[in-house]
Amino acid sequence: MKRRKVDLKSMPAAAARGVDERFQVATPLRGLLNKVFPDHWSFLLGEIALFSFIVLLLTGTFLTIFFEPSLREVTYDGSYAPLRGVHMSAAFESSLNLSFDVRGGLIMRQMHHWAALLFMASIVCHMLRIFFTGAFRKPREGNWIIGSLLFWVGFLAGFTGYSLPDDALSGTGLRIASAIMLSIPVIGTWVTSSIFGGEFPGDIIISRFFIAHVMLIPALLLALIGAHLGLVFKQKHTQWPGPGRTNDNVVGERMFPRYAIKQGGYMLLVSGVIALLGGLFQINPIWLFGPYEAAVVSAASQPDWYVMFLDGSTRLMPGWELHIPIGDGYVIPPIFWPTVVLPGILVMLTIAYPFIEARMTKDKASHNLLQRPRDVPERTALGAMAVSFFLVLTFTGANDVIADKLRISLNAMTWAGRIGLIIIPPLAYYFTHRICLGLQQHDREVLVHGVETGIIRRLPDGRFEEVHQPLAQVDEHGHPQELPYIGWTVPKKMNRLGALGPAVKGFFFPIEKPVDAPVSPGHPPVSSGPDREEIGSGHR
Amino acid sequence: MSTTTAHGAGQGPEVNDPVQQRFEVVREHARADGINIVHYEPQFEPGSKAERRMTRTVASLFLLAGLAGTAFLAIYIWWPWRNEYGSGPDKLYTPLLGLTFGLALLFVGIGVLTWGKKLLPREVSIQDRHEGASKAEDVTAVADTMSYMADELGVKRRPLLGISLLAGLAPIGAVVAAPLVGGLISQPHKNNQMFRTGWAPIEDDHGGRKLVRLTREDGTPIRPEDVTTGGQMTVFPGIPGGAKNLHADSPTLLIHLRPDDAQKAREANERERKNGYMWGNYIAYSKICTHAGCPASLYEQQTNRLLCPCHQSQFHIVDNAKPIFGPASRRLPQLPLTVDDEGFLVAKSDFTETVGPDFWERP
Amino acid sequence: MTSDTPADRRGGRDRGLLARLRSGRSAPRSRGRRRLGAATRLLAALFLAGGAYTVFAPGLQAQDTPQLSSAAQEGKVLYDQSCVSCHGRNAQGVQDRGPSLIGVGAASVEFQVSSGRMPMARQEAQAERKPPVFDDTQTRQLAQYVQELGGGPQLPEGRDLKQGADVAKGGQLYRLNCSSCHAFAGSGGALSSGKYAPSLRPASDRQLYAAMLTGPQNMPAFGDNQLTPEQKRDIIAYVQETLKGDKDPGGFNLGRYGPSTEGLAIFVVGVTALVFASLWIAGKS
Repeated sequence: MKRRKVDLKSMPAAAARGVDERFQVATPLRGLLNKVFPDHWSFLLGEIALFSFIVLLLTGTFLTIFFEPSLREVTYDGSYAPLRGVHMSAAFESSLNLSFDVRGGLIMRQMHHWAALLFMASIVCHMLRIFFTGAFRKPREGNWIIGSLLFWVGFLAGFTGYSLPDDALSGTGLRIASAIMLSIPVIGTWVTSSIFGGEFPGDIIISRFFIAHVMLIPALLLALIGAHLGLVFKQKHTQWPGPGRTNDNVVGERMFPRYAIKQGGYMLLVSGVIALLGGLFQINPIWLFGPYEAAVVSAASQPDWYVMFLDGSTRLMPGWELHIPIGDGYVIPPIFWPTVVLPGILVMLTIAYPFIEARMTKDKASHNLLQRPRDVPERTALGAMAVSFFLVLTFTGANDVIADKLRISLNAMTWAGRIGLIIIPPLAYYFTHRICLGLQQHDREVLVHGVETGIIRRLPDGRFEEVHQPLAQVDEHGHPQELPYIGWTVPKKMNRLGALGPAVKGFFFPIEKPVDAPVSPGHPPVSSGPDREEIGSGHR
Repeated sequence: MSTTTAHGAGQGPEVNDPVQQRFEVVREHARADGINIVHYEPQFEPGSKAERRMTRTVASLFLLAGLAGTAFLAIYIWWPWRNEYGSGPDKLYTPLLGLTFGLALLFVGIGVLTWGKKLLPREVSIQDRHEGASKAEDVTAVADTMSYMADELGVKRRPLLGISLLAGLAPIGAVVAAPLVGGLISQPHKNNQMFRTGWAPIEDDHGGRKLVRLTREDGTPIRPEDVTTGGQMTVFPGIPGGAKNLHADSPTLLIHLRPDDAQKAREANERERKNGYMWGNYIAYSKICTHAGCPASLYEQQTNRLLCPCHQSQFHIVDNAKPIFGPASRRLPQLPLTVDDEGFLVAKSDFTETVGPDFWERP
Repeated sequence: MTSDTPADRRGGRDRGLLARLRSGRSAPRSRGRRRLGAATRLLAALFLAGGAYTVFAPGLQAQDTPQLSSAAQEGKVLYDQSCVSCHGRNAQGVQDRGPSLIGVGAASVEFQVSSGRMPMARQEAQAERKPPVFDDTQTRQLAQYVQELGGGPQLPEGRDLKQGADVAKGGQLYRLNCSSCHAFAGSGGALSSGKYAPSLRPASDRQLYAAMLTGPQNMPAFGDNQLTPEQKRDIIAYVQETLKGDKDPGGFNLGRYGPSTEGLAIFVVGVTALVFASLWIAGKS
C-alpha cells in the first residue's frame, strides 16, 4: 500500500502530454500561438460588438428563466402598486416580475437592453471603419457581406426582443410592423395573417417571437459571427500602411500573450461599461408604458435607435397611395416604400458595394493595406453621403421629441426632414470630397517642402518666408528631395521628427516636453524596409 | 535599460541568461512559422523601482476589483431590494448593483490591460501573409480528382440518372417546406376579418339585428351628454371583450363638436354622401390610423385636427377626417351613430370603410 | 333629419349645461344673453325688466354690480387692471384679442391664472406656463368674479385632490385618455404646427383637475359625466404620486423620453467611453 509520490512540478507537463497524445492539440496550438495581429484602436470597434454579444447571451439566458412568452390574460398582483389589479398578458406580467420581484432582475433586463443597443451601435461604427478604410476590398468581400448581414440579423434580434414584454410601446411597434407586412403587394395580407396566426394581434405572436429571439436568431448570429471571425483569422487582419508594412506581411504583436491579454481586458471593459449603464441609466421602463392595449398610445412613440431610421423614413414619406385600377382596384399604400423597398435597396447596395467599387475602379488586386479616407475622396464622400442620409432619417425618427423640446413646429420638422433628405447628402458628398482633396494636398506639400517650423525669416530682398524643415535629404542645391507618399500619416509637427523632443501623451493633446529632454529617434520602431514603395495606393 | 533588440542576427545573445536563452528558442520557433520578431523590449529593468511600482498598481487594481465585487455581494444580500412605492432606499438597489458590478469589471479589466501593456515586453513581429489562391499543385489535384469523380458517376453518359434525381429531389424539398408553410399559413379573409370590426350589428337567430352600443373601457354604455362639448372619448363596441385586443380594429374616438364645427362636419359628410353618420353634434372616427395602425388620438379641440403620434399624420375632423399632413393617404373611417330607445349611443352599422392600415386588396 | 335637434334641445354648449348644473342662478342669465336664438327668453326678460327693448342690456349690467360678493368685487378690480384689455369690459371678449369669459367658470380662470398662462405677455399660438402674476388669494378673487359673471365649471375645495384615490385605476385612465398627448411619463409632447401638450411636471392637483374639467386651449374637455370626480382624482393621484413621486428604480431616467434619449446615451456614453478605452489599449505608451 505504498503511495506513489506525486511529482507536482512535472504534473502540468505530463497532463499536457497526455492530452496531446489523445487529441493532437500541439499542431493547431502552434499556429494559434504564432499568429500576428496588427494593433490600432479602430480595429477594436468590432470587438465591442463581439463582447456585447457575449453579454447579451449571458444576460439573455438569465431572462429566459423568468420570462413567460404568452398572451394569456392575467391580473397583475405583484409589488408594483400602480399596476395592481390591471389586466395584462402573462408576458407583460413576467417582465414586470423580472423588474420588481426577481432580485437583481432589473439590472439584468437593463444590461440586456443596453448591450443590445451597444451591439448595434458598435456594428455600425465597425462597418463605417471598414468602409472608410477600404477594408472590404478583395479578398474580404465575403466578410463584408457577412458583416452587413449581421447588422440586419441584429436588427431582427433587437426588434423581436423589444416586442417580447408586450408593453404599450412595443405593442405599438408590433402593430406598425404588422402594417408594414400588410403593405406588401399581393401577398401582404397572407404574410401578416400567417405570422400573427390570424388578425393582429392574435394570441401566438409573442411565443413565435420568443422562439425566434432566443433560438433561431441567436443561432444565426452565432453562426455568422463564427464565420466572420474565422474569415478574419484565415485571411489575417488588414493593417495600416507604414514603414515596414507591406501588402504581403502583417506587422504587429503575436496573439499570445500581449494581444490576447488586451482582448481579454477589453472584454472586461465592455462588460463593465454595460454593467454601469445597466445600473445607472434606466432603460425601457415598461411599468410606465403599461400593458399593450390597441387603443392606448403615448406621445413620442419611437423604436430603438437602430430602427429609428425606418421610422424616420416613414414619417417623411408623403401620403402617396398607388391605385391599380384592375378589377375591384388594388392598392400599394405609402408605407410600403419607406419600410420595405428602402431597406431592401439598402441591403442590396451594401452587399453589392465592394463589387461595384471594384468594377468602377477596375481593381482586381488583393488588398491587405488600408487606405486613409482622404486618399479615396470619392468613396469617403459617398460614405459621408450615406451617413448623412442615415442621420437625417434617424433624427426624423425622433422629430416629435425634438420639436417638442426645442419648441419647433412638428410640421416644420417634417418638412425640414423631407428637404434635408434631398439636400444634405449631396452637400455632404461635395464638402467631404473637397476636404479630402485639401488634406491630400497638404500631405503632399509637407512631403515636398518639409514641416512648418513656425519660424519666420526675412529674406534679403525684404520678403518674409516660413522656414520649413525638410523631411528628406537635401540635394547639392539645398533643395529637399521630394518624398513619395506611402499612405500613412505625414509628420506635420517638429516634435514628430524628434526636433523638439518627444510629445508626452496628454489626454486630448500631446504635452510638449521641454527641449532639453533626451531626443528620441522619433521613428516607429520598425525601420523602413526596402519594399515601401509597394504601399502607394495611388487612388486619385 | 537593457534592450533586447532583435536587429541584426549577428548580435549574439548573452548565453548565460536563461530567460534570454528561452526567448531565443521561442524566436526560432516563430521564425520557422514565418514570424520575425524584430523588436522585443521589456519596458522595465527587471526588479527596478518603476517595475515594482507598476506591479503594485496592477495588484491594487485587482484588489479594488475584489472589493467592488464584495460590495456587490453585500448589497445584493443586505440592501433592501423589495420594491416600495415612493423614494425609499430600494430605488438605489439597481444603481448600486450596477455601480459595484461595473466597477469590479472595470478594475479587473484595467488591471489586466495594464499588466499586458506595461509589464509585458513591447514587441513588433512581422508575419508573412500567404495570399492568393492555393498551391498550384493542390488546385490541379483537386480538379483532376473532381473530374475523375464526375466521369465515374457518369452523369454525362447516363443523363437519365441526373434528371430523375432532380425530379425526385424536388418533391422532397417541398416535403421539408410543406409542414412549415402549411402550418403557418392562415387565410387572411376568414370571416371577412379584414373588413369587419366589433361594431357590426349582432344578428340573432330570428333574423333580427341588434345595434352595438358605444361603451367605455369597462363596458358601461354612453349617453350623449357624457361627452362634454369639445371633448373626446375612446369608445369600444359593447360586445363581450369589445375593449380587448381581440378587437384591435374596433377602438373608436367619439367627439362632441361645437355647434359651428358640427355644422361644417355635417356639410362635409353630405358631400361624401354620409348623411346621418353624425348624431347631433357627435361624430365618431376609427381610432386606428389608416397609415400604420397606431391609435390616432391626439385631438386638438380648437383646430379640430387629429394627430397620430407615430408618424405625425394629421386628419381634419370636420372634413371627413381627411389626411392633411404626413404619410397617411386615406381618411379615417367614420362610424355612423344614433341613439337607441334607452338613450344610449349605438353604431348604426359597422364602419363603411376598411379600418386600419391599407393593404393590397382593399377595394 | 334628426341630426340637429338633440343639440338644440339640450342647449348646445355643455358649458352652459354645466353652468346650469353647478350654479343655477347665474347660468340661465348668461346663456340668455349670449344666445340670441332664445328669443322667448329675451322677451321674458324684457317683460320682467318692464322697460324698453333698448335699455335692456345696460339694465342687466347695472343689475350685475350690486350682486357681486366682496371677493368678486376684489376680483373685478384685478380684472379691470390686467384682463380687461383683451377680454373686454364685463368679460364679453374682444374680437381677435381675447375670448369671452362668460360661462368659462372659476375652474378655467384658476387654471389659466395660477399657471401663469394668463395674463398673456403677447398674442401667441399657445399660452405658455409662466410664473404666475397673481397670488392664490387674487386668483381666487378673479375666479370668483368670472364665476359670478357667467357661471361655469368650478373646482372642488382643497389643495389635495387625490386623497383616497386609486393609482392603478388612475394609471389605466391616464394611459387611455392622457398619454397620447402628454406622453407616458407626463413629459408632454408635440401637436400639429407648433402646438404642444405641456409637461405635467409643474402642474398642481388643482391645475390638473381644472385642465381636465375645462379643456384649456386645444385640450379636449373631460366633463364630470365622462370622467367622474373620483376618476379625476385617480388620474391626479397617478400623475402626482406615481409619475412624480415614485422614483425610478433603474437609475437615471434620461428624461423619460423613451428610446430617443436611450439611443443618444448609447453613443454619447457607451460608444464614446469604449472608443477612448480602445485608444488607450492600442496606444503606444
